[in-house]
Amino acid sequence: MKLEEVKHRIKKVVANVLKMDESEISDDANFIFDLGADSMQSMLLIAAFEEEFDIEMDVEKAQEVQTIGGAVDFIAAYL
Amino acid sequence: MSNRGKLHLANLQTLFYPKSIAVVGTNRVIGTVPGDIFVNILHADPQGIVFPVSPREKYIGGVKAYKYVIDIEDEVDLAVIVFPSSVAKLALEQCGQKGIKTVIIISAGFREVGEKGLAKENELLEIAKKYDISFIGPNCLGVINTDPDSRLNASFARKFPSQGNIAFLSQSGALCTAVLDYAQAKNIGFSKFVSFGNKTDISEIDLLYYLMDDEKTKVILLYLEEITDGCGLMKAAREVIDKSHKPVLILKSGRTKEGASAAASHTGSLAGEDKICDAAFKQAGIIRCENIEEMFNIAIAFVYQPKPKRNDVAIITNAGGPGVLTTDATIKEGINLAQFSEETLLYLKRNLPTTANIKNPVDIIGDARADRYVAAISAAVRDENVGGIFIILTPQSMTDIDTIAKEIAKVAEEFDKPVYASFMGEADVASGIKILQQNNIPHYVLPESMCKPFLKVYEFNQQLQKENNPEPVITKQSQEAKSFINNSLKLNRKYLYEINAIKVLAEYDLPVIKSRLAKSVSEALQVAEEIGYPLVMKVMSDDIVHKFDVGGVMLNINSKEEVSGAYETILKNVETIMPEATIEGISISEQVAQGVEVILGIKKDPSFGSVIMFGVGGIFVEIFKDVSFRVAPVQKDTAFEMINEIKASKLLLGTRGKKPADIDSIIESIVKLSHMAVDNPNIKELDINPLIVLEQGKGCFIADAKIILK
Repeated sequence: MKLEEVKHRIKKVVANVLKMDESEISDDANFIFDLGADSMQSMLLIAAFEEEFDIEMDVEKAQEVQTIGGAVDFIAAYL
Repeated sequence: MSNRGKLHLANLQTLFYPKSIAVVGTNRVIGTVPGDIFVNILHADPQGIVFPVSPREKYIGGVKAYKYVIDIEDEVDLAVIVFPSSVAKLALEQCGQKGIKTVIIISAGFREVGEKGLAKENELLEIAKKYDISFIGPNCLGVINTDPDSRLNASFARKFPSQGNIAFLSQSGALCTAVLDYAQAKNIGFSKFVSFGNKTDISEIDLLYYLMDDEKTKVILLYLEEITDGCGLMKAAREVIDKSHKPVLILKSGRTKEGASAAASHTGSLAGEDKICDAAFKQAGIIRCENIEEMFNIAIAFVYQPKPKRNDVAIITNAGGPGVLTTDATIKEGINLAQFSEETLLYLKRNLPTTANIKNPVDIIGDARADRYVAAISAAVRDENVGGIFIILTPQSMTDIDTIAKEIAKVAEEFDKPVYASFMGEADVASGIKILQQNNIPHYVLPESMCKPFLKVYEFNQQLQKENNPEPVITKQSQEAKSFINNSLKLNRKYLYEINAIKVLAEYDLPVIKSRLAKSVSEALQVAEEIGYPLVMKVMSDDIVHKFDVGGVMLNINSKEEVSGAYETILKNVETIMPEATIEGISISEQVAQGVEVILGIKKDPSFGSVIMFGVGGIFVEIFKDVSFRVAPVQKDTAFEMINEIKASKLLLGTRGKKPADIDSIIESIVKLSHMAVDNPNIKELDINPLIVLEQGKGCFIADAKIILK
């Protein structure tokens, strides 16, 4: 899967979980600092990424991922 | 004060009196830290504008919200960061870009969670330095300022306390909320209330310097879990006390922790972390408290009543039993029962029933009403032999509790003497206690609890009357001693045994005796002839810490034959008890006349630097544990205090027909040793044991010494 596609799908998941418009999400947006995700939403995002990409992530490491760009690299490694 | 300390001092005024506050990372969710802090700030009715900064919200509580702090058009004095630790640095960076100079970082998840957290904390400090920001926290409850010119509640404490003159600073946030609740119930107000958490940037030392000039603060209370800069804390406290006459009370947790388990000397073993802390606080004039209750008991005595000028109290009670208990506690604490003047006794006789006890403690009898309390208090307070008054009340059917409370307040206000009260009980006396508290009469649940606060305030007042001692000046430095120690370290030596230790001590003019090392019997005989008899012979080995324990010391050697015999015996003893020890040789030294054996020592403490110990010496030093400590360097008066502080000081001062020992020579040795300690930071521990002290005027001599290097 191309990285562009991964990014697109990640943004879609984020927009869905955080209930915001996809256009508001920049490539380097920080889930907490820029998008306002709280701790519960951060956990929901991890679960939603796993479902979207049909993967099982290392939750502890996944929690350290802070940005859209970081998530793209992290998830791509599982694909 | 460091440059950063100066910056903090300037920035702290803005922190306590901000004209605009941004709450960075807040939200609308009440019951969460980010949500509650914004609400608490608003509800306190602050003297400034509040800006919520939230990535998602357009407004919070009807106030326009900003996505980023840099989006705020106005100037911002103070930012309160409530984002999680993972993004706190992003928020702090933006605060720097916005030009904000004071920040409170509430977020947890830093050094308290381990190495990764510590790394995040260091990142925060780097950002703060880059932008000249001063920050409180992280991992804290926040900051409260009750001054009507500020009314800042940048915290997630449930309550905004009433205004008062007590500043409370705490390393523990959770303790803060409990203290606020406790204080509210006792009608105690605060000037400033600061939870400083991990004290990564602004520490208790910076806060002490700020509070020194804070007009609203009369007493400073400090709860500490760790002391990172002990010397800095001592210096700041000393300055606050000397310049502003504000008492500094510290509750330091971890009293039972002993950091001496791996010590290789008597001094190291006896100088536990807590004892050093005790000594350092005493030296700095800090009042150390045992618990929160005691801390506030003392604080209210300072804040609400005048300072006693005499250490003599009058006890006035309507109950014999509590009167006797309080008398016992008073004497035990070291306070005197005032001897009433004839005039006072006559007045009391005329105005109290014949069944009353007019001598101190004054028992005005169980059926006493307000008039008897007024008569007794008025007489006592006018008596020049009385320094303060303890009033005890037990609720009996005819006791007009509220009226008595009001009358106590009236009389107390008229005179410049402290009046404390204990209305014993709970339900019946509640309204009376409230009246006392509203009228600034310190109230104590148990009458015995009046004693310690009285004594502490009295002692503090006495301390203020004394002329301030200048900072001790180091009069002796030795490059030779330093080189010797550094060379030993290069050779990986852990110890300097007696011969070499004495060389170093001699550099500081300490009273060493003639001593040489012999590596064979023939050398020993030669050295013995040079020094002269009687002699002491001791084994020298890096592997042997306590020579007596391995039969490595022989005294009273008076002839060549005895020298040869002692040499062989010592070697044999050591070989039997500690065969693995490498023996350097046998030291031979002159045996000084008999005297009192004391110990002097040095221990390097990570917080306070070099600490000096004095005490009862000899082989039982760790059994008697009769020792005192001070942080080096010390002056003569401090050295004298150290001597007086041990239980056995009477032995030195002369008792039961014995002549006094040469105290002046001990004082001189303590002072010189303290200079040596400061001059040689590579000394980890040192024992001079024993220092043999002769009769007054005849001096003292170091009979044995060892130095343990870093």
